[in-house]
Amino acid sequence: MLQCIFLLSDSGEVMLEKQLTGQRVDRSICTWFWEHTVSQGDSPKLQSVIASPTHYLFQVLREGITFLACTQVEMPPLMGIEFLCRVADVLTDYLGSLNEDLIKDNFVIVYELLDEMIDNGFPLTTEPNILREMIAPPNIANKMLSVVTGNSSNVSDILPGATSSCIPWRTTNLKYANNEVYVDLVEEMDAIINRDGVLVKCEIYGEVQVNSHLSGVPDLTLSFANPAVLDDVRFHPCVRFRPWEAHQILSFVPPDGQFKLMSYRVRKLKSSPIYVKPQLTSDAGTCRVSVLVGIRNDPGKTIDSITVQFQLPSCVLSADLNSNYGTVNILANKTCSWTIGKIPKDKAPAMSGTLLLETGLERLHVFPTFQVGFRIMGVALSGLKIDKLDLKNLPKPPYKGFRALTRAGEFEVRS
Amino acid sequence: MFNQFGATAETLSKASTLVFRIGTDAHLYDDPDDVSIAPLLDSRFDSEKCEALKRLLALIAQGFEVSSFFPQVVKNVASQSLEVKKLVYLYLLHYAQKRPNEALLSINYFQKDLGDPNPLVRAWALRTMAGIRLHVIAPLVLVAAGKCARDPSVYVRKCAANALPKLHDLRLEDNTVGIEEIIGILLNDSSPCVVGAAAAAFSSVCPNNLSLIGRNYKRLCEVLPDVEEWGKIVLIGILLRYVVARHGLVKESIMFSLHGTENSRSEKDCSDTNSALDDNGNSNDLYESELTNAVSHCYIEGPAEYLSRLSFMNKDSSEFNYASLTSGKNNDDVKILLQCTLPLLWSNNSAVVLAAAGVHWIMAPVEDLKRIVKPLLFVLRYSNASKYVVLCNIQVLAKAITSLFSPYFEDFFICASDSYQIKALKLDILAYIGYIRDPDRRFATDTVARIGICAQRLPEMSNPCLEFLLALTRQQLTTGEFGSVDAEADILIQAIMSIKSIIQQDPPSHEKVPAARAMVVWMVGEYNSLGDLIPRMLATVLKYLAGCFASEEVETKLQICNTAVKVLLGAKGNDLLTIKMVLIYVLELAKCDLNYDVRDRAHFLKKLLSTYLDSQCLEEETNHPGQHKDSSRLLAENLFGKQNKSVSHEPIDHRFYLPGSLSQIVLHAAPGYEPLPKPCSLRCDDPEMDENGDPYVTDDEDSASESLDEEIASSYSSQHSNVDSSGTDGSEEAGSASEDDDNSHQLIQFSDERKNGASQSASDFGELLSNRALESWLDDQPGFSKPNTSEHSQVRTSSARISIGDIGGQVRPKSYPLLDPVNGNGLRVDYSFSSEISSISPLFICIEVSFKNCSKETMSDITLVDEESGKGKDSVEQSSFSDESSTIPQSNEPNLVSVEEITSLDPGQTMTRSIQVRFHHHLLPLKLAIYCNGKRHPIKLRPDIGYFVKALPMDVEVFTNKESQLRGMFECVRRCTFTDHIKELDKDKGDNSLVEDKFLVICRSLALKMLSNANLHLVSVDLPVAAKLDDATGLCLRFSSKILSTSAPCLITITVEGRCSEPLEMSVKVNCEETVFGLNLLNRIVNFSVEPSHPHV
Repeated sequence: MLQCIFLLSDSGEVMLEKQLTGQRVDRSICTWFWEHTVSQGDSPKLQSVIASPTHYLFQVLREGITFLACTQVEMPPLMGIEFLCRVADVLTDYLGSLNEDLIKDNFVIVYELLDEMIDNGFPLTTEPNILREMIAPPNIANKMLSVVTGNSSNVSDILPGATSSCIPWRTTNLKYANNEVYVDLVEEMDAIINRDGVLVKCEIYGEVQVNSHLSGVPDLTLSFANPAVLDDVRFHPCVRFRPWEAHQILSFVPPDGQFKLMSYRVRKLKSSPIYVKPQLTSDAGTCRVSVLVGIRNDPGKTIDSITVQFQLPSCVLSADLNSNYGTVNILANKTCSWTIGKIPKDKAPAMSGTLLLETGLERLHVFPTFQVGFRIMGVALSGLKIDKLDLKNLPKPPYKGFRALTRAGEFEVRS
Repeated sequence: MFNQFGATAETLSKASTLVFRIGTDAHLYDDPDDVSIAPLLDSRFDSEKCEALKRLLALIAQGFEVSSFFPQVVKNVASQSLEVKKLVYLYLLHYAQKRPNEALLSINYFQKDLGDPNPLVRAWALRTMAGIRLHVIAPLVLVAAGKCARDPSVYVRKCAANALPKLHDLRLEDNTVGIEEIIGILLNDSSPCVVGAAAAAFSSVCPNNLSLIGRNYKRLCEVLPDVEEWGKIVLIGILLRYVVARHGLVKESIMFSLHGTENSRSEKDCSDTNSALDDNGNSNDLYESELTNAVSHCYIEGPAEYLSRLSFMNKDSSEFNYASLTSGKNNDDVKILLQCTLPLLWSNNSAVVLAAAGVHWIMAPVEDLKRIVKPLLFVLRYSNASKYVVLCNIQVLAKAITSLFSPYFEDFFICASDSYQIKALKLDILAYIGYIRDPDRRFATDTVARIGICAQRLPEMSNPCLEFLLALTRQQLTTGEFGSVDAEADILIQAIMSIKSIIQQDPPSHEKVPAARAMVVWMVGEYNSLGDLIPRMLATVLKYLAGCFASEEVETKLQICNTAVKVLLGAKGNDLLTIKMVLIYVLELAKCDLNYDVRDRAHFLKKLLSTYLDSQCLEEETNHPGQHKDSSRLLAENLFGKQNKSVSHEPIDHRFYLPGSLSQIVLHAAPGYEPLPKPCSLRCDDPEMDENGDPYVTDDEDSASESLDEEIASSYSSQHSNVDSSGTDGSEEAGSASEDDDNSHQLIQFSDERKNGASQSASDFGELLSNRALESWLDDQPGFSKPNTSEHSQVRTSSARISIGDIGGQVRPKSYPLLDPVNGNGLRVDYSFSSEISSISPLFICIEVSFKNCSKETMSDITLVDEESGKGKDSVEQSSFSDESSTIPQSNEPNLVSVEEITSLDPGQTMTRSIQVRFHHHLLPLKLAIYCNGKRHPIKLRPDIGYFVKALPMDVEVFTNKESQLRGMFECVRRCTFTDHIKELDKDKGDNSLVEDKFLVICRSLALKMLSNANLHLVSVDLPVAAKLDDATGLCLRFSSKILSTSAPCLITITVEGRCSEPLEMSVKVNCEETVFGLNLLNRIVNFSVEPSHPHV
């Protein structure tokens, strides 16, 4: 079981420590960890499980904040990691976002949350819905109240009813004047296009996001027109397994507000909406770059927010890159980013220019990978379609809204 | 310019954060000690206390030592504000172990909070009390946890489960039985949340007490999908262990797939399996199954054990016992486990997915294993943080069964955004699934090429790529004979090309990898005759190598020498001369090398090959005496020839740990890692393995009357491993003396343990509290129950119900003096509570008042008057009882009803009147006046809470049913001693009475005592049958009643411990909805039980 949790700032400062068991963990472990991290280079993608000389460490990095947990005994490492992720999620939810100042300013709430979320190294209450009722989030009203009156307690006096309910994710006794529920299909396209322009891998990672404002305890049923396209699925705990197993129907009592009902994967797609064709030719210490972007398969809706990003190899001394559309920026860390936006009707966007290589280097021998970003509103590229959404246990029919969105995930073009 | 702008931006952002920080605790974190904290802590205002505590918390957060404030903080534990409480608890938990003595000061408040009606307060109190981790209070915490385990609130029960590992951490032997018992209760809880927490407690307290799981196995499986995600992870592991221990491994699963093949093989040719292993040569399947074998052994024995055993034993001597196998198709337990874990693969918690996948990996038939593939792969995309761990696990699975993941090779394509470790893992997996084992060798070639391309594209990747290619080729080369297959050669060439291209791409950086270069060189030498390409390249390559010989590392130089010789030996035709020249050149160079090893190698080779070289030089091969040449050549060929023929498999030194474990990630056994239990190690002679033996919740132990209840006896006994044998035996042959001995011994031991615990804690406690104080504290804490189930369970294993016959006649209510003859001018008034029920209102209580004239004269006009109600209500209302439930509602009704005036009372005459009185409160006396001969005598009528209830007849079933509904905070227990029976026994001593009579006497005197002091119904009397003749331990009396005013049932259970002829330890338990009333009733019962009774006539 976890013995201690530390929150580290992006400079390695220990902002909080929470001892969980009788075996205290000295904070010197954080020093070790930080040195270890630094010694591994500036890559923030350090492995999530580290065996230090004294403890096993689990780490999760979010917005520059390192959540570090220590244990000395065998335990499922994913439990530690998932828990840290949950802590990060809950804190983000409470504080609006996550940064050093926010955590320091609200350290009491962070402590109270941690104390409630984990007991003796084993997670206690991690359901955000219950936590929000137990410990009030720091909203503007509370802040003002505390300024005016000088005292305000964010600790609830009563145990939330949901702790004993069989649907802990839902607050009891909800009432809305206007009942409404929104279902969004948000998809991310992961693709790898190899040097020859062949689509090596193309798949969709999608989420069904629901925003529900419904009174009482409604029972929802969501069905798809073509569930067969789904390759694999993940569910929010509220989804009942049986109906899905039998008929591929999502039957659930929703939490209140925004949540991720389901995530899914659709593999082996045959085409991508846009193409990106990079070309690098080197000669006598310089390298000519040209990148072409265009629409390959028109999804029927506008493709916007198109960006192309790549890391200049370390052997490049300077770069001179221009585009006929959009803007090209070269950032300090040698990341080149070309912001295109929408593809114009009249011309095909192209970026070209030259890279000056290190002296003594004739040809470029490391080739960058281009990361592509785009967004298409109103389309789910996987082809998944929602058939209908039925609601039971509601006095009057609510407003139902549906949307779809596809954006690029890990969309990489190799050169 | 930028600087300026930057500065402005900075101040802007500062200003904006300032706005944001208003109303937060920012200033407390920034300057926690800018004001003096101590006075704030002593403040009267909660807000100031809060601030002080927050400052302390900030100091703790920043790593400062602030334990010096401990005494002041502890005082605030009594605060009513929940926020202050929470902050104090946070502080306490941080420092309690450092300041144990001061921490003890808070215990009383926790005790009080444990009785609080707010479940949140109860839960916090328990959490903190257990979290303080002081040995001296361990018994208290155990009791509190036991009580909270029956709390009506789910949350409190969950906290009770979490408290148990804390207790266990203290490593007090005395408590283990108690802890495990509570775990048993909680595992059986109706709420899945609690079951999850109980599972966590189980796995950290008693992971090997699998019989505890057996009893609930099916139910636990069914409840699994509803358990909280964290509980699921642990519970899945526990259930897996249970199934392995109970039923063994599954025949169709991967754990056994190898043994099946081996078995059939050895049966077929009746030869040693080892030989079968050795002569296989090129069978990849066998290599794979050998790996699987290693995996399954590692899972069961732990890698360290397995590997060390392997080193000195034959592999086949470790075969599993075939009896320890089961079929997944026929075994219900296995089936249900697989069924219940299947939907968990859809969980959005990656830890749950991995745990569920682990169960299937070990238990499911091999053909069903593909179910776990997609979910595992999904986690890779779904949860970035879990990626590394999941990949590590997939790596093992892919190694053991490569075909599992090979259709999904795309998922392991390397992305530029992956971290180094992830890329390395992906490559390794790709290598296994795509390359080594794929039947389609063309695809394999592609894969290798792709790895090379990967490496070229992603410069940071080339190193790992290289390592993998090298490792792969080496493995490939050593495992099989492939010269015959062209495709294999293609792959090899491709690999070599890839390696070369990588190296050439970035020579300076790879110069640092001499091993790699050496490897390439070695490969060139070793496989010089393969395919079409290499032989043609050989001469060129050798020339190149010779050219850069001087600049190579030692390792590479040695390999170059070897390679040159090998090439020479295999060379034919035109190249021969060139190669020979190169070799000579190389050897000359080597002789001048700085390194001894290289020089030695050069001399050695030169000598060895001297004849050969010479003869070749002279090109008179045939003329020379063949014998000599041949021998040296033979030697050289033997040394450098195709060694791969004799090379057997690369020894499998992989260490495998259970999927999803920490040990698998760090590749050594983490402390606390335990392999699967030995198959079928769990004995299943417990007849009540199935879930119907459910002793705690169903409360059906009382339903069987009159005699022993074998079922329950056995299920109970299995709970305490140490009680096991005797308990079961005892129930089987209750009559036999030796068994009786055993059983009573157990019981005594039990009570001894308790005493030990108390005295031990008392000695530690000495500094703070006197022994006496502690005892009274331990015993008299009214809102506090001992975990009586232990005793109960023991008792009920061997009890018989008796009826004590009609004792109603002997019940004589106790009478109290109301008026003394001295004060009353010779009038003596006594009163006693009657068991009659008022006909007017439930608020009235019937009292028999007897008037006796002790004087010599006749008295007249004796009346009993309630003066106050006449005066008005103000006096009545002054009674300021805050507790609504115990205050009898006020009304205009008179407090006293129907007192017939006694017109005259002769000297010596006694007259009795029955009055009905309404008390304001069950503890407060009523002021009345007696008028006699016109004279007023003020009197106080004291209530007896024992008569605020009325007998509520019910049978045992109803009683136990009701009792089970009134657990937790509705239950209070106190202990006292009972001595009444001794007199009775002494009186009987003269007679030659039977021994059983002793019990009867005790029962009778106890029952009499109770019935004479309270208006109760005797429900049942349970006698310990199997106990020793003189041991009354286990005697149990149940009484029922209901509160007059509210009709709430009030149940009383008395359990006795000790020897018949000595004072008996008695524990009295009251279950009542009205907690305050129940407590007062309990106190009353204890009080009257202790005081000696009036001698019976």
